[in-house]
Amino acid sequence: MSLEVQSRQIDNGVTVVAPTGRLDVAGAPALKDAIGEAVKNGKPRVVIDLEGVSFVDSTGLGSVISALKQIRSSQGDLRLAAPNQQVRVVLELTTLDRVFPYYATVEEALTGF
Amino acid sequence: MASHSKPFEFNATLSHLDEGLDTLHESIKQLRKSTGRGEDDRNLMHFEIALAEIGANVLTHGRPAGTDPPVEYRLWVEDDTAHALFVDGGPPVDEVLSRAMPDATSEEGRGLPMARWLLDELLYKRDGEVNRWRLVKRL
Repeated sequence: MSLEVQSRQIDNGVTVVAPTGRLDVAGAPALKDAIGEAVKNGKPRVVIDLEGVSFVDSTGLGSVISALKQIRSSQGDLRLAAPNQQVRVVLELTTLDRVFPYYATVEEALTGF
Repeated sequence: MASHSKPFEFNATLSHLDEGLDTLHESIKQLRKSTGRGEDDRNLMHFEIALAEIGANVLTHGRPAGTDPPVEYRLWVEDDTAHALFVDGGPPVDEVLSRAMPDATSEEGRGLPMARWLLDELLYKRDGEVNRWRLVKRL
């Protein structure tokens, strides 16, 4: 099951990147490509909408860390939205929930961003 | 006399990364259905995370360059305990069970520490020309 990624620009300039499928060793390159596109336009503010992600593994998590580094090196910022229970377990297990505060919905992530 | 019922068993050979991972997740889906466990069953979720980590590792590194031998995979539940076995023909894996969790900025190296933490047992053995990985989790 390959990962599909859709990106859309919101009125306030935030890019919402929405992967669908498993964000794992096979799917991570697709997310990296989408983030690469998002950071082309200046100071990126990006929300990764995880609602469609059914499962994340350590390589998928690595692609999110890579995204954060890439975005911050361009003076931008990244927020995560709508992770399912499995994604939250992996974030908490690796203590990356301290690096990535996540939001219950995309709307909440966009508030004040 | 102790019961040794074996209510679930799944066997497969895995040849490609993407399809191999599909098969691993499908086997857990079938296990869930067979044992009546839901998506939110925490122990089975932990087992699936560890299974995917070891499976990805085996499918990525467990086959010598230029060759394509399939990886043998077996999953079974016995006495409320999930067991999985991978046998691959890749090179020996050194210090696999002692790797520590990397720091928060690292983009790799979390898979094996996570699997070790999530399972009751993670056993690795070099057996002649093959690697044997055994995963055990009480459900």
